[in-house]
Amino acid sequence: MLKTTVVGNYPKITEDKSAPNLRSALNRFDQGRISGEELEKVYQETIKRVIREQEDAGVDLITDGQIRWDDLVTPFARNIDGLEIGGLIRFFDNNVYYRRPVVKSKLAFKDYSTVEEFGFLKQNSTKKIKAVIVGPFTFAKLSKDEYYNDIDKLILDLAEILKKEAQKLEEVGAEFIQIDEPSLCFSPEKIDLANQAIKIVTDGLKAKTFLYLYFGGIKNLIPKLFDFQVNEIGIDVVSKPENLNLILDSSFDKELILGCLDARNTKLEDEEELLKLFERITQKFSSERIYISPSCGLEFLPHEAALAKLKRMVQSVKKFNLSGND
Amino acid sequence: MLLTTTVGSFPKPDYLVKARNLFSRKKIGEEELKELERKATQEVIKLQEEIGLDILVHGEMERGDMVTFFAERLEGFGISGLVRSYGNRYYKKPIAKGEIKRTRPITLQMFQYAQSLTEKPVKGMLTGPYTMCDWSFDEHFPTRRDLVLNLAEVVHQEALDLDQAGAKYIQIDEPAISTRPAEIDLAIEAMRMVTDGLKAKTISHICYGDFTTIYPKILNLAVDQLDLEFANNDFANLEIFKNPRFTKEIAVGVLDVHSHIIEKKEKVKENIKKALEVFPLEKVYIDPDCGLKTRTPEEAEAKLKVMVSAVKEVKEEMGLN
Repeated sequence: MLKTTVVGNYPKITEDKSAPNLRSALNRFDQGRISGEELEKVYQETIKRVIREQEDAGVDLITDGQIRWDDLVTPFARNIDGLEIGGLIRFFDNNVYYRRPVVKSKLAFKDYSTVEEFGFLKQNSTKKIKAVIVGPFTFAKLSKDEYYNDIDKLILDLAEILKKEAQKLEEVGAEFIQIDEPSLCFSPEKIDLANQAIKIVTDGLKAKTFLYLYFGGIKNLIPKLFDFQVNEIGIDVVSKPENLNLILDSSFDKELILGCLDARNTKLEDEEELLKLFERITQKFSSERIYISPSCGLEFLPHEAALAKLKRMVQSVKKFNLSGND
Repeated sequence: MLLTTTVGSFPKPDYLVKARNLFSRKKIGEEELKELERKATQEVIKLQEEIGLDILVHGEMERGDMVTFFAERLEGFGISGLVRSYGNRYYKKPIAKGEIKRTRPITLQMFQYAQSLTEKPVKGMLTGPYTMCDWSFDEHFPTRRDLVLNLAEVVHQEALDLDQAGAKYIQIDEPAISTRPAEIDLAIEAMRMVTDGLKAKTISHICYGDFTTIYPKILNLAVDQLDLEFANNDFANLEIFKNPRFTKEIAVGVLDVHSHIIEKKEKVKENIKKALEVFPLEKVYIDPDCGLKTRTPEEAEAKLKVMVSAVKEVKEEMGLN
């Protein structure tokens, strides 16, 4: 049986007028028209909606949609000593921005970043749930270093800090922890260092760990990628279609998440095409080893399109599983 | 020599922000909105003349997002629901749903209006085909190249109209080029189509990316002038353009448009002089890093005054006046 999951973020607002409107709540909060408590209530209602939409669609392994995150790094940057949160800069080849952390002095753990929100997800979901953290390699690559002058040291310090986050997530009940490392696709020459950093983060964890690479190619990461100390590897086979062949031609024993639906384009995948794709994948790998997911977080899409993708993904996987292709 | 200009957008006055809001909720009509856009354009032209800029822009009072503005006026595009760009800011992203066609000129009327208000040249302002493709969803075209080349044809028609209407400068912005170095050949091919046969001086503005990955290839972009940011990287980018030598005209960004802080004149002068060590004087223009629309009107004015005054003093010191 193929299973389904998501990569992480999800649209924070919807066109549905009856749904909690986080955008307008944030505006009203900025203008002093609602209190912090009222804003918090809208956050919680929004997260519950996002959980419900994934559950109703039938996704097997869900996230909280990262509704409180402005971007992949800022939620963590706020809780690390030695960093300042810098100016806006484009996030990979997407027409969206993130705030670039600026490293000003030796980094040190200050506080947990995602533990509380993971607790909320746990309380409010009935499905299996996944915690997501940024990887130390990507965090360093997206930062501006004004202190270390040595990216290796910066990455290893970040790994120690993120390790604390992962350990605490496990302590409060996370059975699945995903580490996002899109930057690795664009700096394959640093794979040994990234491997070392991920080992620091995952050492001693009993939770199932995922390493997710999106936006880029894995050509120059093979075969070393399969030695990383994680249980599963997530690959975007949409942004770089050649990734699929590379995976199908490799031998390894890790489990896989395959990002098969384009989370950066509104065009809805054809069900027949997806079934053919699943067929190709399961000819090589046992379906028990595979999660199907969108190619990256769904927040690059407007809500309506994101939800349509979720539904299409789950329905085509169900159909595939029912057709006895197993 | 050392002519001053700006990249394109100016901050919208409060009355126009309100009017655009009312218009989107259908509380006021199109004519009423257009009247206020013309009023704001007049103010922007007057402001630029007062500050003493050499090459003016119309200020883009009628535009929101630089891609969506065009997509909304072209056949073949739909517009998506809201997508978040950062923080609590959202925009509607174009969706290519069929062959893209231009049914009438899009920017001509506003250009002609702005040019009629001043003796100084006003730039024609377009968004490039590569950026239009990169910042849209595509539900129709088999490949990105198909969409880019279709858009190149459309932007070319618009550029020809501006050229025939007497625009001395036509700027075709391609900020997305620097984010996907692997596709630079496609962007170059498309720009060749856009500027083919134009009499006007052509410019392309590119920003917020890593130029090391696209230089010197970017010198093949079929425009006379590149307009690049330098202030927001504290002129570190200058190093890139030393070798091989930069061959086009260059507009050097000397104001950080994402900072509230008004630059110090001495610092701007110093930076202009640094740039003149890399680029030949006769090819250098001076402007801000990017459009000014995210600044307050007061900040924009103060920054531009510092810039113009810095250029004036540099020229005097060099005995150019």
